[in-house]
Amino acid sequence: MSPLLEINDLAVTFATRHGEVTALDSVSLHVNEGETLGIVGESGCGKSITALSVMGLIPQPPGRIKAGSIKLAGEEFVGAPQARLRQMRGGEAAMIFQEPMTSLNPVFTVGAQIAEAIMLHQNTTRDQAMKDAVALLDRVGIPEPDKRARDYPHQLSGGMRQRVMIAMAVSCRPKLLIADEPTTALDVTVQAQIFDLLNEIQRDFGAAILLITHDMGAIAEMADRVSVMYAGRVIETATADAVLDTPQHPYARGLIDCIPALGKADGGLKEIPGVVPPLHLLGDGCAFAARCAHADARCLREKPALLDHGHHPAACHGVEEARL
Amino acid sequence: MTTLLDVQDLTVRFALPRPRMFAPRPHLEAVRAVSFTLEKGRALGIVGESGSGKTTAAMAAIRLTQSTSGKVLFEGDDLLGLSDEDMRARRRDVQLIFQDPYSSLNPRARVGDIVREPLDLLDIGTPADRMDRVRELFALVGLREDQLSLFPHQFSGGQRQRISIARALTTNPKLLVCDEPVSALDVAIQAQILNLLAKLKRDLGLSYLFISHDLGVVRHVCDDVAVMYLGKIVEQAPVEQLFDAPQHPYTQALLSAAPSLKRRKSQGYTRPLNISGDPPSPINPPLGCAFAQRCPKAAALCIEKRPQLENGVACHFPG
Repeated sequence: MSPLLEINDLAVTFATRHGEVTALDSVSLHVNEGETLGIVGESGCGKSITALSVMGLIPQPPGRIKAGSIKLAGEEFVGAPQARLRQMRGGEAAMIFQEPMTSLNPVFTVGAQIAEAIMLHQNTTRDQAMKDAVALLDRVGIPEPDKRARDYPHQLSGGMRQRVMIAMAVSCRPKLLIADEPTTALDVTVQAQIFDLLNEIQRDFGAAILLITHDMGAIAEMADRVSVMYAGRVIETATADAVLDTPQHPYARGLIDCIPALGKADGGLKEIPGVVPPLHLLGDGCAFAARCAHADARCLREKPALLDHGHHPAACHGVEEARL
Repeated sequence: MTTLLDVQDLTVRFALPRPRMFAPRPHLEAVRAVSFTLEKGRALGIVGESGSGKTTAAMAAIRLTQSTSGKVLFEGDDLLGLSDEDMRARRRDVQLIFQDPYSSLNPRARVGDIVREPLDLLDIGTPADRMDRVRELFALVGLREDQLSLFPHQFSGGQRQRISIARALTTNPKLLVCDEPVSALDVAIQAQILNLLAKLKRDLGLSYLFISHDLGVVRHVCDDVAVMYLGKIVEQAPVEQLFDAPQHPYTQALLSAAPSLKRRKSQGYTRPLNISGDPPSPINPPLGCAFAQRCPKAAALCIEKRPQLENGVACHFPG
């Protein structure tokens, strides 16, 4: 089976006052049809930039796609004309953003906003589009959909707004759905509802999902495969079970160990000391070395490549030398 | 064990705008007759969804929100009855950490000054003593002395939260109110802040009123937990007991909604207990149990009669 989305050696840079910084450094990943790939990492690791690159939404300038390719269903989208990108966005690929309040237009009813998306991509009348919008609202579990379609975003709760975003995203039956931290602004019970809804949508529509999150708990519940990102690079990639049960890279292990579990709390939480380094201060060595308990001279000198060292691919000298 | 904070029947009501001229003013009861006690050196977690009144209850307890009725005994003194001047003097014992470290620090002030400000305002010590205290606090929360003259934007979210904690500790408070102190942070940074809070509690004998919607976080930091729903406490228990044997269906739902590494997609997990919809409006709260319309166990009795908090749970059919 050929992958639906294939990103190869993608490099994205931004012009800043510190000069040109590398936001993505030879990122390669793929999403197969109908599966969920989770991208996990802290803020500033390049998760969202990866998603925006796929959607052709990197602001250029200051951003620049320097190298690499992004293929959706076999078609190259790096350097594609704007008209084609517009057609693709909301058509073949759709995106759900983190903050449902700021990503909906406050001066139009939610029904009208969904209908607009439908009319942009399908040859249909306004009446038919409105009917479709109501059906979609019903599909994503909004009670009294014909009434809610006439509501403005501020009249809905956070969870309902995120459902509207999902309805809009699936309105044209995209093959790829990108969810960028879809539940960070929501309560846990609503988060559970949204996760269940996304899984259901995936089953019914057969869409592939690219889920971006910083929470390994969300990965466990949602993802089939995971790519762990750190400072603009993919540092570990495997099935969700493999990463969660036998994480190779110390950073992946740290992300799993630092979750305050519901089970017995025994002593202190394991923490990852320090923060993600600013992109303009990335040196030659492994970007994680300064925070890593196992770093040695080689880690500070040489960037590890993403290679399979017996278990699954991880970019770590320590794993390669089997000294972890 | 001595009681530090004893909150009795605290009620907070907000007046809403009149729907039309001369119509009676509707009210919203954000907190309805809430009672809890916090022992010295312990941490009480208040858990609930947004709109459950957890922040309002805590803010009313330390008199940052006007309460309608009730009593708050802090070391035996009724805070709600103190004069403004006496309350101001008491403020040194009660300090706050806010959720958003981006908006709770003055962007134009240097962080050393931000941390020193409570000492200036309450006129504690000489200026030289104050700077010593600030340096001591910086070391305590894990910041470096050479960072004293930087501005908040030069710090990451986790470091800013450390600055907030240092600021809250300047006056040697007895009670620290933490309003979702880690929910704006990445998971990896959350662990750093939670470990810091646990260490400070142990070393300084602090008591926390810890507001959070994340049960994993509460489990880690708190000794006791109160679960709030639509302005009322629906379950209250020591942390072990609440997590091992939750009695209220809402608590059970919260626990099953929290993401867990053990629930794997590959194993085709299903959530044992799922609740749909949103909480009802607090403007016209239902006559019976507020959770009844979302509750899998609800019966006719639940809709007619409001359950009272008995043996730590407010439910007609606990367990």
